[in-house]
Amino acid sequence: MTAPASNAVGSFVLLQVGNRRFALSSERVAELAPPVRLHSFPHNSPLVIGVIVRRGRIVPVYDVAPILIGRASGTHRFYLIASRFFGRVAEASAIPLHGECELATGEIVPPEPNSPPYISGSLAVGDQRVPVLDFEALVTFRPASATPSAAPGKSS
Amino acid sequence: MRIASHDSAKPRRHRSSEDMILFAVGRQMFLVAAESVQEIRSTDGLASAALEIELPDFPKVTHFFERRHHNWFIVNACAHFRLPVSRPTLVLILRQARAALLVDHIVRMAEVPAVHPLPHAYSGDERRWYRGLAYLEDQVIPVLDPVGVLTRDEFLRLDAHCATVLAERECEGAAQS
Repeated sequence: MTAPASNAVGSFVLLQVGNRRFALSSERVAELAPPVRLHSFPHNSPLVIGVIVRRGRIVPVYDVAPILIGRASGTHRFYLIASRFFGRVAEASAIPLHGECELATGEIVPPEPNSPPYISGSLAVGDQRVPVLDFEALVTFRPASATPSAAPGKSS
Repeated sequence: MRIASHDSAKPRRHRSSEDMILFAVGRQMFLVAAESVQEIRSTDGLASAALEIELPDFPKVTHFFERRHHNWFIVNACAHFRLPVSRPTLVLILRQARAALLVDHIVRMAEVPAVHPLPHAYSGDERRWYRGLAYLEDQVIPVLDPVGVLTRDEFLRLDAHCATVLAERECEGAAQS
């Protein structure tokens, strides 16, 4: 997904991370899954916290809460499973969510000039403006202060 | 949006299964193909044959031993995987690389139906560490890649260091005799 040059209408999934709402293009979203067991093992990839098994596939889980709300995800209610592309290969990827999701259709307006790169615009929902996430930019976002560090796996 | 039901489906089974060793490092389980392990020794059993390596910036390799005129390097799995310090009791002497892995204990042998590729989301050192992931009794367990325990550059550095250690020992031996 890229930042739109002009306003465009699309279908979005509204999701909750912490107590904040965000929107993600529904084209990216495969399903909403229950909070199944997270399997962790040693690695040092940023944001990745482990994998879940879903429909016979091993799906990596990204904890994007530190970026979006400034703290780790903690207890969550669902996993949103979306597609991430590596070249032409689509990989199912999960992010933990803290509340219900809903579908919304609306006009996306371009982001504010000072918006972080993972915000591709905003969506008018009622009288609210919900930030629209660029999934690829979100899971590859590195804060300027971030330094790579080992993220040893938690006990499975 | 509807919420999908709990999913009981397991990763697809492949026809050929592989015998593997399930071992523990701290609280973390790992698998390694049985055919990738040449020998399993107790740390006590190898202590007399091993010489110390002192490279402060390379703490995962603590000892080496000579086997068939080559140096074999003992890698502490805790340090390698950056896990909390544990108490290793066994050494897995690997087959495809001149490395031996210090591990806590062997859990059991396991027949692994399939090794699934590591998701692309994993982009760090783990791409070298693991052959992939196995789904075994409701657990996803990483499968060790023996070739990824030490890099080519690390072998070069360790070999150079060991040559110095052995030369010093030879000199000391000559001086004493």
